[in-house]
Amino acid sequence: MSETTPTTPTPDQSAAADAERPHTGHGFGRVLVAVYGLLALAATGRSILQITEYFDRAPVPFLLSAVAALIYLVATYGLARGDRTSVRLATIALTIELAGVLVVGTWSVVDPAAFPEKTVWSHFGAGYGYVPLLLPIVGLWWIRRTARATAAADEAAPRR
Amino acid sequence: MLQPLTIVLLVGCLALGLLAAHHLLRRRLVDDPLILVGAALEVALLVQLVVGLAKSGAIANGAERATFIAYLFTVLLVVPASVVIAVKEKTQWAMAVVLGGAFVVAILVARLQQVWSLNV
Repeated sequence: MSETTPTTPTPDQSAAADAERPHTGHGFGRVLVAVYGLLALAATGRSILQITEYFDRAPVPFLLSAVAALIYLVATYGLARGDRTSVRLATIALTIELAGVLVVGTWSVVDPAAFPEKTVWSHFGAGYGYVPLLLPIVGLWWIRRTARATAAADEAAPRR
Repeated sequence: MLQPLTIVLLVGCLALGLLAAHHLLRRRLVDDPLILVGAALEVALLVQLVVGLAKSGAIANGAERATFIAYLFTVLLVVPASVVIAVKEKTQWAMAVVLGGAFVVAILVARLQQVWSLNV
């Protein structure tokens, strides 16, 4: 929790300011990190199982599960770290995730034969209560909100 | 699997969820009662792991058995992870994480029961 303290503010303001400093992994962000962590776990587990147990049955969805797992891992890490580079990484991951769930979701509806097995993204994540569809939208909103709050905080105290 | 054990686990999830909801409304953070209920639930999940592993041979299909065993282990991670996340958070979102964690454990326990009943 001690990352990103570029300058050393005076002791009296640092403790209070750090507690209030916008961070993608704090406040509501904890819930996001928890949900992303869970999805990373679920997708990783599912893809390992699918690839080791019955890869021949449907290679495309199974590879997509593995890609999704990787993206969820990156998103979890990026949001939890919350420094500038990590947030950028998380933004990229969430954008790919959103594009992925939309493309794969549409594809699975148009051509169900290509997806005999479920993946996290097929049918827009219906098997997971549509969480995979909602999550990147909520996540990108949260990143944007945090970035704005940070900008506002920096404007209020430009010397930090 | 063992129906009484599943019921005990679901009651445990409910207890943890209710306590977290109570704390959330009262603006409290992680405290001893919450840790104790969480720990009790975790112990019950460990019992489930042992019982489940002992009985997993009854599932004939290899892939389904692998799924069952994977769930048995995965469900162990949820309570500790949510409590660790909640300890670090000093706002009401801490309890939201624990509440969500209890819900997820309940889903996983139900799912385990489902995998078991569909394959035995």
